[in-house]
Amino acid sequence: MVIYETIFILDSLMPPKDIDAAIEKISGIITKDNGKIRKVDKWGKKRLAYEIQKKQYGFYVAIEFEGKGDIPKKLENDYNYNDKVLRYLTYRYDKHKIKLMEAEEKREEKTTGMENQSERENTVKQDEVKEQIEQAPAAEQTEESPAETEAELGVDEIESIEEKKE
Amino acid sequence: MIKMKRKRSCHFCVAGDIYIDFKDERSLSRYLTEQGKMIPRHTSGNCAKHQRMLARAVKRARHLALIPFVADFSR
Repeated sequence: MVIYETIFILDSLMPPKDIDAAIEKISGIITKDNGKIRKVDKWGKKRLAYEIQKKQYGFYVAIEFEGKGDIPKKLENDYNYNDKVLRYLTYRYDKHKIKLMEAEEKREEKTTGMENQSERENTVKQDEVKEQIEQAPAAEQTEESPAETEAELGVDEIESIEEKKE
Repeated sequence: MIKMKRKRSCHFCVAGDIYIDFKDERSLSRYLTEQGKMIPRHTSGNCAKHQRMLARAVKRARHLALIPFVADFSR
């Protein structure tokens, strides 16, 4: 499996619903041919560096996917039939890009590992604090409650004894 | 007259860049003239490998209308 990225420019005057529908249609073509979508990135409305079909603005969408070589051809066919697509570019990630991605992944793993460690430490600290807080009132309750019950019991007993006496 | 050749080093090699991204038009504009032409290797000092990568990036960016093919500029 090879990683590709396809970028297309849609007419910016389209309503947002139609844009989402167009993205879904393209991603449907990819998934139909056993492709795997890795990332869908909407760049949003951007000013074009030069006019295309007399339009100054375009809506950029980038889809990163894994798949076989016949998917780009099918995508191209679809793009050519769609009038709303101003430009498209599908390219394969070369070895340099893949190297860069691997390096970034490693970096991310390192950073996430550090974050996890710090999170764990934080949670441990929080737990300790919680335990302390919980222990404190619990201790008070245990001290108080038996005393109260004893007192009540004592009163009850006394009363019952007095009743019996009477 | 002896021409003094100043040795220029490739920016990408110095920075340790593996890949030149065509989506970042600002970094590309550093290697373009005001008109949008590519600056030749002997003036920018890029190495052959990175110049080829740069050329590909510029062509892709031009196709997607991120940078102009020709920019009008008046003196």
